Amino acid sequence: MKKSHPMRRVVLATAATVSGIVLLLSLKPASDPAAASAAGGAAPQQTAAGQESPQGGSASQTGSQSVTGNVAQTQYGPVQVRLTLTGDKITKAEAVQAPKGGTSDQKTALAIPKLNQEAVAAGSADIDAVSGATYTSGGYKQSLQSALDKAKAAGGTSGSSGAAGASSSPQAPAAQARIVTGNVAQTQYGPVQVRLTLTGDKITKAEAVQAPSGGTSTQKTALAIPKLNQEAVAAGSADIDTVSGATYTSGGYKQSLQSALDKAGG
Amino acid sequence: MSTIAGGRAARRQTMRRIRPRRSPAVPLLLAVWAGAAGVIWLWWNNTPSIADDNSKILNAGRITGLLAGYLMALVVLQMARVPALERRVGSDRVARWHAMSGRYTICLVLAHLFLTMWGYALQSGKGLGGIVQQTIDSVNQLPDMGKAAIGTGLLVLIGFISIGGVRRLIPYDTWYHVHLLTYAAVFLTFWHQLSTGNDFAVEPAAKTAWYGLYGSVTALVVWYRILAPIRLNLKHRMRVEAVIEETPGIVSVLISGQKLHRMGAEAGQFFRWRFLAPGMRLSSHPYSLSAAPRPTMLRITVKAIGDHSAALRDLEPGTRVWAEGPYGALTAGKRSRGKVLLVAGGVGITPMRALFETLPGASGDLTLLYRANSTQDLALWDELAAISQERGARLMYAVNSPEGERPDISAESLRRKLPDIDRHDVFMCGPPGFAQQVYEALRGAGVPARRIHHESFEM
Repeated sequence: MKKSHPMRRVVLATAATVSGIVLLLSLKPASDPAAASAAGGAAPQQTAAGQESPQGGSASQTGSQSVTGNVAQTQYGPVQVRLTLTGDKITKAEAVQAPKGGTSDQKTALAIPKLNQEAVAAGSADIDAVSGATYTSGGYKQSLQSALDKAKAAGGTSGSSGAAGASSSPQAPAAQARIVTGNVAQTQYGPVQVRLTLTGDKITKAEAVQAPSGGTSTQKTALAIPKLNQEAVAAGSADIDTVSGATYTSGGYKQSLQSALDKAGG
Repeated sequence: MSTIAGGRAARRQTMRRIRPRRSPAVPLLLAVWAGAAGVIWLWWNNTPSIADDNSKILNAGRITGLLAGYLMALVVLQMARVPALERRVGSDRVARWHAMSGRYTICLVLAHLFLTMWGYALQSGKGLGGIVQQTIDSVNQLPDMGKAAIGTGLLVLIGFISIGGVRRLIPYDTWYHVHLLTYAAVFLTFWHQLSTGNDFAVEPAAKTAWYGLYGSVTALVVWYRILAPIRLNLKHRMRVEAVIEETPGIVSVLISGQKLHRMGAEAGQFFRWRFLAPGMRLSSHPYSLSAAPRPTMLRITVKAIGDHSAALRDLEPGTRVWAEGPYGALTAGKRSRGKVLLVAGGVGITPMRALFETLPGASGDLTLLYRANSTQDLALWDELAAISQERGARLMYAVNSPEGERPDISAESLRRKLPDIDRHDVFMCGPPGFAQQVYEALRGAGVPARRIHHESFEM
């Protein structure tokens, strides 16, 4: 029964909520030392001196050294990779920075551990993109490459054999043809999957292993896929035009093509 | 109207010991705040750092989203007709909480939507202008966002029709049935919280807690809004016994049934009544019992204000009645051990009439002050006079003078009539303006606020 002024309550509630949220946000630090391990899923035993050690030359070739790659900017935020190398071998990979906020947190939590494993397994920047986290994977590969380059520069002559694999040139001999199959891209009308034949970095042949079929889809597939194959060979990249009347198939084709190119180390 | 007055059960109640009950409102509110703190802690714990302005916006979106998700469950819980809330805190107070927290939750939902989409738009380099496009993209790409979008649309619609001015424009039944869509809206918006919410992806315990919160609210709603009323009505099988015109415009409906004293209804409480007559099936309305319940008979007394209450006059005896209740906290449990003043304004006499009959107390402890426009409008007066005689209680009325002048209800006049008024508990029921006036007069006469018991369904 107390007299209450509705406006007063509205103003109070708004002010309390806004100031509470602003306070919470401002109490959080801008960068967190534990973030690296949190994002990379590894214990934070590495020292912050990692970046300096290649220049300082303190780490011996046989002992383990730590190298931090450049920051790679992606659409969803920066990615930065730190490697621990024993000799030329990557013994540990972790992300010092990774996209955060909203769905990015989830994607980062999913993708970074996978990418870390892949980096250790491959010993090079030639790793697969994690599907659903294409931008993060791209940034990771960039930063990983730069870390490997730094390690190679610091390692000097003795790093020749191992670190060469990590440089930008593909591991496969230039003259030999390779076949790479892209990931399956789901479209509204069915799955699309692309297989590429590459000679060096060049696409010499593109074909669809899977494409929508049934009903009008069969017809559209028959029209669109040959065109898309031609375009892929001509462009040498996933930057190809959509075939009109087959938008979904074209979209799926481009996705799968991109993943094949990613796998090929492009 | 002697069929209902002077029952043995009622007389027995007047001899009971006075046992004041405390309202559980304070512990409940503390629990609500503790839950909100837990939700904030969840965010705090899963957010190591906030790098830039973009992250600040997204995190503000996360906080508002988490709080909205938490409050949404409570807003529904408040309308689950849980006895602890309806009978102990009071239906009117819970309904006001519901309205208040409902508005706040919708504001949080909109803030969450705006902040999150703004943050995503910035992340993909679109800026504030790209927020609409970003919303469309997110709805298309992220899991469960289509459902969430429909649910949010429903919530906005429900919020809109509940704004005071809009609500008065539409019939109550329309408003009520649209309002029921809240259940659909809550269901639809639930899933995106788990599938895209960072805190639920990272923290499985949070997911479990969320399922627990929404699951228990669902269970309470299903039990107390659906199953308990079905049980009640199958057991008591109520029908209209008779309709009696008390004064011009005020009718009493007598309702017969089986073992009605086992329903646990107390004087001062109400049921939500649905009369299964043509044109009345779809709406249920709250009316107070105007007499203590008898084993075979209940009575409500209603003033013809709206369509529904006017139609009550034409109810045929034998019409089946579907009741939900009992609800309301304006009962004997509210009082402390002292004298009691009952104040009734107009048709607000109904719960006061039942309390006047049953409130425990010795001769001289009880006073009823009845305000009406004229002596003709003093519904149930004969019954009240009989009770007052039997119980040795005081009965007073205040009506307008023949010239239409309003009676003087002020601190002075109240003190003149009841010199020890500051040692009374006061139960009050009447139209909002009247209740406000009496409340101020009572406070002026020295009655502490905690001893003024009042029920008001004005939002």
